[in-house]
Amino acid sequence: GVFAHLELLEVRAYEAAVKQEEMEQQEEKLARLKARVQELRLQRDELRAKVEQQQKGQLGKEGAVLNPAQPSARAVLEWKMKSLKAMLQIFYLTGISGKLTKRGVCFCISTAYEGTYLDSYHLDLLTKPEVQIYRHSVPIFIPLRQIAKKYLQTDIRRFLSVLSDHLNAYVGRRYQADQLQEHFSGQIEGTLQRNSLCNLLVFNYNVSSESKTFPFKVRLLYGDPCCSLPTEVVISCTPDAPASLAETAAAHSDLFRRVALHKAFRSFSSAGECVD
Amino acid sequence: MDETVAEYIRRTVLKIPRDEIKPMLQKWGFLSEVQLETVNFHQIKENISQDVVQLCEENSAGIKQAAVLDIIYNNIYPNKRIWSVYQMNKTGEETEFFDLTDFKKKFKRRLRSALKNVTINFREYEDNAIWIRIAWGTPYTKPNQYKTSYVVYHSQTPYVFISASVLRSNLPLLCQALVIASNYHDIHEMELRSHSLNSLKDIVFKRYSQNFKTYYPRPLPERNVAPETVDLRIIQENKNEKERIQRLNWQVFGDGPQPKIEFAQYKLETMFKSDPKMDVLDKKEPFRCLVKFSSPHLLESLKSLAPAGMADAPLSPLLTCIPQKARNYFKIREKKGLLPGSFVSP
Repeated sequence: GVFAHLELLEVRAYEAAVKQEEMEQQEEKLARLKARVQELRLQRDELRAKVEQQQKGQLGKEGAVLNPAQPSARAVLEWKMKSLKAMLQIFYLTGISGKLTKRGVCFCISTAYEGTYLDSYHLDLLTKPEVQIYRHSVPIFIPLRQIAKKYLQTDIRRFLSVLSDHLNAYVGRRYQADQLQEHFSGQIEGTLQRNSLCNLLVFNYNVSSESKTFPFKVRLLYGDPCCSLPTEVVISCTPDAPASLAETAAAHSDLFRRVALHKAFRSFSSAGECVD
Repeated sequence: MDETVAEYIRRTVLKIPRDEIKPMLQKWGFLSEVQLETVNFHQIKENISQDVVQLCEENSAGIKQAAVLDIIYNNIYPNKRIWSVYQMNKTGEETEFFDLTDFKKKFKRRLRSALKNVTINFREYEDNAIWIRIAWGTPYTKPNQYKTSYVVYHSQTPYVFISASVLRSNLPLLCQALVIASNYHDIHEMELRSHSLNSLKDIVFKRYSQNFKTYYPRPLPERNVAPETVDLRIIQENKNEKERIQRLNWQVFGDGPQPKIEFAQYKLETMFKSDPKMDVLDKKEPFRCLVKFSSPHLLESLKSLAPAGMADAPLSPLLTCIPQKARNYFKIREKKGLLPGSFVSP
């Protein structure tokens, strides 16, 4: 009766859903293949254009005219090497690249901060009997062992990703502190107190108001090891500072939280705020 | 100005090579440029030191300033002392926010609570190195400025470099103060000692060149330099062997300069292995023996052994593991088990 009818409807609905999923998968696959075809077509067009250009414009590097119909074996090899090098360069630029070794893999993590390439760090991993770190060049103050304990055995991609985050954040913080010391040393009173991880910076800088200068003491705490912006900013001024400076302090505090340190200082000078 | 301070400054200046005195005093910053101009740095050192002391008198130098000059001297000439490496451990996994002011306060407080008569001075350097100078006294005598220990610590690392003075009895106290100030749980001495502080740092911070295999095109070492006018009549008989040695050497030692250590010591407690028929020793006891390798630059000399033909390549891993294992003092005992061999104890 009713139950049988319901069962029938359920079966139909299930079948319909399965069909729908299949169709969607097919469509997805089709879309991917179409995109790939586009990609390849584009590549082919590029290569065609290159070949044409070379045929037209070139007299041959060796001083002889190359037969355009049959590129020499040497030219092919050179082209292969060049494109392979370019591919490897691309992998390197993604930040994480690796090379198989006799006993495992050797990874290279390259870091960068806002367009500036910074240091590279290496990890030599063994894969048998289990994944372990044979040797590395990661700085000692990066918690490599803890990250490895968490992820190395179970999810190597995550391990590399987390480690890369730590390293990139560290070099980013270090870069900002270095830039501050290099370009804005005139505005800083005394020394910039920092540490190896650059996750705690304490320094004084001068702010002027009503033709008098007042020192601001700032303490930047970078609570997130994978972040290059501070999580905690404390700015204090001397008790004799005018009340208006409290607003400036709040504004600066907000700025430090959002913007790279040296850029924040640059904006002080350019915004016409008198930071001596 | 205290007479002892004056004498201490005088002796410190006398240690400095003549050409370096003015730059070091400038680094010190205690005497003004104008004052420094009044000193003739070409006279004999005895007189230079007297002049400097005179100027320090004018500025009323105290022990604190004298101590800073001493730190500067030791920082520029650290190789005059022997440094040991200590490793600290902790169980917590939270991120450390090293606060320098906090560290200094805790260190001084711990040390002073146990021993009132100490002079403690700090100086920070750009590579995040914190130099600590401690002059030790006793519960009844003032600190002896000539009996000093130096500590070099890089924040947020588990390694401490200590150049202890003659008074090793103060070492436990010093270690305890370091552990507390840096938020670690315990500390132990590693089997790693050298005169070259920077090399010790290179070894434990892994700053020496380990040749990692990467694809990133880096300039290959110039091994195949354009050959000089080759006389085809001369054939390199051992070319293959030479290349094999070069390759093995490069694999082990890498391209760059080796950390500088002056000795490696191996304490052997192994059984003498001989033909059982010969039966040299009556008793089956471990043969105790100490082997010490000394060199102005041990690792570089090991690197050149095989290419010079003095040893077979590859070298024994006992020699080549020094930077990676971060030790140059080894104890070798028998490996207990079916296979004979030697077992390096931790």
